[in-house]
Amino acid sequence: MTDQFAYPPDREEASAKKVAALEALLIEKGVITPQTVDKVLAYFETEMTPLNGKKIVVKAWTDPAFAEKVVVDTPGAIAEMNLPDGMAGAEGEHLQAVANTSGVHNLVICTLCSCFPWPVLGLPPYWYKDPTFRSRAAREPRKVLAEVGVDLPADTEIKVWDSSGHSRWFVIPERPSGTEGFTDEMLMDLVTTEAMIGVALAGPAS
Amino acid sequence: MKLQHYLGGLEGLPEDLTLEKRVFVEDWEKRIFGIHVAMMGLSKHLGTALPEYPIDGVSTAFQDEWTWADLRTGAEAMNPFDYFKFRYYEKWLGGITQFFVDKGYVTEEELTAKVGGLTPATGTPEAAIDDQVIAYLRLGDSPRRDVAHPNFPVGSAVRIANPAADAHSRLPGYLRGRTGTVERVFEGDYAYFTHTGDGIGDPMPIYIVEFEPTDIWGPRAEAGPEKLYAELFEAYLTPIEEKS
Repeated sequence: MTDQFAYPPDREEASAKKVAALEALLIEKGVITPQTVDKVLAYFETEMTPLNGKKIVVKAWTDPAFAEKVVVDTPGAIAEMNLPDGMAGAEGEHLQAVANTSGVHNLVICTLCSCFPWPVLGLPPYWYKDPTFRSRAAREPRKVLAEVGVDLPADTEIKVWDSSGHSRWFVIPERPSGTEGFTDEMLMDLVTTEAMIGVALAGPAS
Repeated sequence: MKLQHYLGGLEGLPEDLTLEKRVFVEDWEKRIFGIHVAMMGLSKHLGTALPEYPIDGVSTAFQDEWTWADLRTGAEAMNPFDYFKFRYYEKWLGGITQFFVDKGYVTEEELTAKVGGLTPATGTPEAAIDDQVIAYLRLGDSPRRDVAHPNFPVGSAVRIANPAADAHSRLPGYLRGRTGTVERVFEGDYAYFTHTGDGIGDPMPIYIVEFEPTDIWGPRAEAGPEKLYAELFEAYLTPIEEKS
């Protein structure tokens, strides 16, 4: 066997220098400005974050008419909410929500790349882009879910959505029982990015 | 065939998944992500995208197209060993750097010199560049082009096409030749950023096709009630003739 899978000892340091060099040259040559990358990052740190998705989920939990609409006309339902401008922007042009019920659990994957609903969930966590997760979740979602702590009843149907077209999918998880008296803020604390893709249930953060 | 087209269902990969919940695991990854988004937001094709961005009036030196299709084509072209070896943003760094070298924006010598002695970059703060990038993020780049002209109504039994693989595809390999049922026809026809060589590019309908896992994986399917749904361009669907 060769050293095909050996990494150089300065793996991260070398990448950091390379990307800094590339960014500096692109600035000098007028491709981007000294502020461009920071402005892009700020956009995702302040506006396009999972907070938007949490608000959508909690509205679906607390407003039956919205819950009905958000899975049929996701962009239309979201447009009625007071969320930042840009919910139909990059990677949100065609959002599509699917809702878990007592007998159905939804799981969103992207086996070809890493399609993700940026405006409502922010940027994808590493696990979503992991080739192992992507390959295994397509064929054995129930086993994968069990490994990450989601033990579903044997008769719960699992629906796997492979994002190979134009839609960007996210999941409305089920509202946990015993949360009847919760405020919207308390409910939002129960919703994670993982729950909105389907690899976790809504509940207290673990 | 390309392994990256056949990732779904590939067996033998490590079990006992742990979820790395961070978006970036190294600070440098943020910079290459930002550069990629800037390229997307400054791509020349945005002049004809919806909305029609005033891209020719933006004072950037970037004069090429850069879309998801370019990034994906690069990832699909990788040596599969490297594809598995390198982390997500390592692949981006390699692919995007190569693009700028290939297109003549930077040279290997310039990059090497910069790596050796990085000085703070000086550039002109052209607000129009940053404004265009943020406008792209807010307004997007919808591939929807027309009303739908679907050939397959909901409920149709379809067989998934098996076109020769080209540089890029939006057809998950594990679905090739499999049979499924049209579950939904989307409103509108949808273009793709480029002509992939395997049938997509021009505006066409997109469907959700429902598959029984046993029709995909045979005896390797999991037990228990499951369905798999894929969103597929019409070029990837073929009719199943009714038996008379």
